[in-house]
Amino acid sequence: MFLALQANDKRPVYQQIVDGVKALIARNGLREGMTLPSVRQVAGDLGINLNTVAVAYRQLQDEGFVTVRHGAGAVISSRTPHPIDEAELCQPLRTALTEMILAGKTNQEIEETVHRELALLQQTRSCNTEKGGAL
Amino acid sequence: MTAPTDFEVMLLVTALVVLSLLYSLVKFAWKQPLRNGPGFFLGIEVPAGFYDGPGKRWLTGYHAILVALHLALAAALGLCFAFKRWDLIPLWCGGFALVYVPAVVALNLWTRHKLGARPPVRAVALSLESRRLGDYISWPAEALFAAIIVASWWVMLRRGVAIDWLPPLQMTWAALILPGKIALVRSGAPLPAERAEEHYRYQDAMRRNSIHALNAWGCLMLVTLCGFPLRLIWPPAALPSLVWIFLAVFTAVFAWMMIVIYRGMRLAVTMGRDLLPAGSWMTPFRGATRHMNGFYLIWFAIWIGGILGLNLYSLLR
Repeated sequence: MFLALQANDKRPVYQQIVDGVKALIARNGLREGMTLPSVRQVAGDLGINLNTVAVAYRQLQDEGFVTVRHGAGAVISSRTPHPIDEAELCQPLRTALTEMILAGKTNQEIEETVHRELALLQQTRSCNTEKGGAL
Repeated sequence: MTAPTDFEVMLLVTALVVLSLLYSLVKFAWKQPLRNGPGFFLGIEVPAGFYDGPGKRWLTGYHAILVALHLALAAALGLCFAFKRWDLIPLWCGGFALVYVPAVVALNLWTRHKLGARPPVRAVALSLESRRLGDYISWPAEALFAAIIVASWWVMLRRGVAIDWLPPLQMTWAALILPGKIALVRSGAPLPAERAEEHYRYQDAMRRNSIHALNAWGCLMLVTLCGFPLRLIWPPAALPSLVWIFLAVFTAVFAWMMIVIYRGMRLAVTMGRDLLPAGSWMTPFRGATRHMNGFYLIWFAIWIGGILGLNLYSLLR
């Protein structure tokens, strides 16, 4: 399981890690009970500060995606849907839509992009569910 | 049955080492700059057509340095034999590593400085696979290893016989490789986002190979260390048999170590072909030169420094 961190991404590194882990959970790539590598390992492999990784793990813990157990590291939590306010949920979508409009995309192109991304997400998700079932 | 003479023992050791060195030189070291294909020189990305232009000079220089190193070591060995200083043969074996490794590291650093000043920046991938020490290091084997070292020293100290402490001390120091193995498990170079899975598998295979090679080296040092207490407790009349047993075990462990090393080198060539070598590119977070784990470098400097110090002391005392 791999997270890709982009060179030209405007988000801070810890946020890229948080978003990447969430995306993998959404695609069923990371399932309940799976352990994330230690903060030291991630920091060492990427060549970043320990605190940056610790902040990302703390945010994931605060949002209920992982449970940090002493000695066992960060473990993916149960998949109970996390209640989030509708407005809060739509905020990143609005930002992404704004970016696409500013990039000169038409409504039809935006709709196609959204459908394609959603279909890709569902496809990866069912593929990972099948893999999990086979295991 | 008579025991082999010092000359015969050293001749065997020298033959083993020389054969291994020649094999490594011909099979691996000579072709090392091109290990990652024509797009790289010693793991550093070079422009297309490099080997038709300045690359020829770089390659010739590399081969000249290799030949000079080996000739210097052959001359040192010749002097040992000419003056019948068999006691210096183990020093020569250790000396080769102490000259060869820093020379190769210096050559790599120089090449990186001259050719890889501005490597490309690529997106980086992060593996979410946990690396636990227990997956790479066998703790029961480590406990057995430590127990044999302690038992060897216990026997030597309990016998109360005046012995030269330096050689067993050298072997014990050289066998202390657990911190190096821990550092290897913890160290990881950044993975490029393209073909991340292949790069990760390659990196992990290299990590396991290095640990296997260190294990084999540790066993060789342990076997040599065990020779000292065994000589004290072995019945004097049967000492020749001990020498033969020791030589057989030593040769077997040495052969195993070389097989592990060569297998690792061959695997590195096969798996690493067409992959980006660590340090040939920069991540958005760190430079290309910082691809080695600091803990490993510190341990290696202390460990190799200790071996060098003990060797120099034995030479000058």
